[in-house]
Amino acid sequence: MVLQKVELHTPMSPLDESGQTFNPGQTGSTPAPPPEAFIEDGPLAFCNPLRIRHRRGWFRSGENRLNLQRLQGRERESDSPFTSVPVREEMMGKYSNLSSESHNISLTEHSSMPVEKNITLESSSIITLTCQYTTLGNLNSINVTWKKDDELLKNFSLAITGNTLYTEYTTTVINSKQMGSYSCLFEDEKEQRGTFNIKVPELHGKNKPLITYVGDSTVLVCKCQHCYPLHWTWYRSNGSIQVPIDVHTKEKYVVSGAYRNETKLKIKHLLEEDGGSYWCHAVFQLGESEEQLELVVLSFLVPLKPFLAIIAEAVVLVAVILLCEVYTQKKKKHPDEGKEFEQIEQLKSDDSNGIENNAPRQRKNESVSQ
Amino acid sequence: MAGRAEPPDGGWGWMVVLSAFFMSALVFGVLRSFGVFFVEFVAAFEEQAARVSWIASIGIAVQQFGSPIGSALSTKFGPRPVVMTGGILAALGMLLASFATSLPHLYLSIGLLSGSGWALTFTPTLACLSRYFSCRRSLAMGLALTGVGLSSFAFAPLFQWLLNRYAWRGALLLVSALSCHIVACGALLRPLSLAEDTAVGGPGAQLTSLLHHGPFLRYTVALTLINTGYFVPYVHLVAHLQDLGWDPLSAAFLLSVAAISDLVGRVASGWLGDAVPGPVARLLMLWTTLTGVSLALFPVAQASIALVVLAVAYGFTSGALTPVAFSVLPELVGTGRIYCGLGLLQMVESVGGLLGAPLSGYLRDVTGNYTASFVVAGAFLLAGSGILITLPHFFSCFSAPTSSPQDLVTEALDAKVSLPREEGLGEE
Repeated sequence: MVLQKVELHTPMSPLDESGQTFNPGQTGSTPAPPPEAFIEDGPLAFCNPLRIRHRRGWFRSGENRLNLQRLQGRERESDSPFTSVPVREEMMGKYSNLSSESHNISLTEHSSMPVEKNITLESSSIITLTCQYTTLGNLNSINVTWKKDDELLKNFSLAITGNTLYTEYTTTVINSKQMGSYSCLFEDEKEQRGTFNIKVPELHGKNKPLITYVGDSTVLVCKCQHCYPLHWTWYRSNGSIQVPIDVHTKEKYVVSGAYRNETKLKIKHLLEEDGGSYWCHAVFQLGESEEQLELVVLSFLVPLKPFLAIIAEAVVLVAVILLCEVYTQKKKKHPDEGKEFEQIEQLKSDDSNGIENNAPRQRKNESVSQ
Repeated sequence: MAGRAEPPDGGWGWMVVLSAFFMSALVFGVLRSFGVFFVEFVAAFEEQAARVSWIASIGIAVQQFGSPIGSALSTKFGPRPVVMTGGILAALGMLLASFATSLPHLYLSIGLLSGSGWALTFTPTLACLSRYFSCRRSLAMGLALTGVGLSSFAFAPLFQWLLNRYAWRGALLLVSALSCHIVACGALLRPLSLAEDTAVGGPGAQLTSLLHHGPFLRYTVALTLINTGYFVPYVHLVAHLQDLGWDPLSAAFLLSVAAISDLVGRVASGWLGDAVPGPVARLLMLWTTLTGVSLALFPVAQASIALVVLAVAYGFTSGALTPVAFSVLPELVGTGRIYCGLGLLQMVESVGGLLGAPLSGYLRDVTGNYTASFVVAGAFLLAGSGILITLPHFFSCFSAPTSSPQDLVTEALDAKVSLPREEGLGEE
């Protein structure tokens, strides 16, 4: 079943031409129609009149060449431009807390390729993507297509106002299959393309390797600034394969986290084999996002070598300084000793002369006495 | 053995300047750059920032309060064995810290052990330097103390590189090896015996005579007051700038500019202190007054240009008062009692240093901005410089000779001024 939305042209439309949000309950002049829901094959689509902005509305068939196919089911016969069908209540409850977002890309015939917009989603949402193409040429001859990752999409709407062609695609994103790149293509003389990249939030952390020593314990931290994952998981990698970490061995690994947007892995009693790459995965409803952390485990010998080298150098320096001092002091003493030595030599020579003189006398005396 | 009548004023004295240069780099450069380790300790021990910053505070406190012990031992045994022992203690403290498993472990190893090593090192080296010089004492002091400024430029990136490569345990191990060079610095301190050494007696006698020495006590009070105000910019300037809307990078850059002008101020003042006749205390008063005025003007300045000019002025004047402060002491107490005088001086003025920054922080908390803190800091400096007028020979036209025992009594307090800066930077 294909559902399209078309533009409301009547000047008496409850829509505010200036583009403000129309809330039927607030104007007071028209009865507030109930919020409507469409049921399609596949994802559930809501159309909430509170979200009607800028030239959007419902068009009864026949007044324009843009078609409105009717829904199967009961249609209210009234002057209200809205249609409604009964919605299964259990489905209402299931999706009533979905948030909804809308994003817009503007293109002209002179836009430089490619025009992209990044959308970050954590949990299920209703996404409305709008592309508008402004040109002075003939808008009717432009072929408009929507693609998701090269696959053609069908349930989009078209409207023309003045020089601008509006096209809109709404989808409900409930699991990772609906994530990806959605593109609107306008084929004029040149193909103009606008791309919406719907992704889960990415983790950005410091990429410095963490250096630790054998026997120490360390903490690896993963944080996400503005996102709140459902849970976190940790992996180690051997080469290219990521192996989950068994966090139930309390002696080695402890996972903790003070807040929902961070996780800490404490590794105790580090060994050299514990070094390598660690991965933290943030698991969202719509997918996973990962970050790599590097751990280096050193043994104490690594800084010990430069330590001993520097100590040896300091010891050598001290020895050199002290030896230099002893040497210079010896030099100072030597000139003095030199003078004394000469004096002693002179005295000795005098003495020896005296002794030599004495000795013969003694011998002579002795010989005489005998 | 008869001592010399006059200090050599050169010769081996220049080697002592070299030794003092490296020693002040290794003691205060390490203390100042310890902020780099701060972040690692907070993460590694999962402790609060305030508790981790106690490591540096304990180290500084032990270094200052232990100074009289270092001085007394130097008087008795000479500076060389004391400084070499201090170097070994400082290195040992860092070595044990690399094996730490908890924060109190670091308090004891770095704070207590390395701190006492530093206590045995800093004061005796500077005192020994004072003994080697008389006419060129201020210049020698200024040159030696530039070691502090230059090392904080070099050590901060070096420590960060060591942390990136070896983590904090390996980095502490290598800082310990670096601290071993203090022993080499100590080896350069050849003992010098001067004529008045026999006149002043042993350490106990010296301490007693100093405590009865009026000018010394007045100088101690003056420097304590100066010390109280001295640190405030280094601790609070960055925060004050951020209050005014500066971004952290520009604020840090301004501190670097102040540090450069500090370096220039030290050398210039050292040269000036020797070139200008008359007691050095007058120059000290000049620099102190200018520092106090520039501090008090900080809250008034709003424009960027005015703040930069004031930062340069503060850096220059506070650097200038450092070597002069050390030079006044030998003029007051004489080179014979310099060891004990310096030690006592350091111990008492550290009270001012330890109180100054928290007082300024308290004023900030009470009033909501830094205006009161800066004005009070400036007032302390001006009060200190006022007391300097009461020093003897202040108004004389010629400087008293430093070697005679009578002059020993009148000099006292030069050493203190440089100390406040080094101490406060441990908190950066």
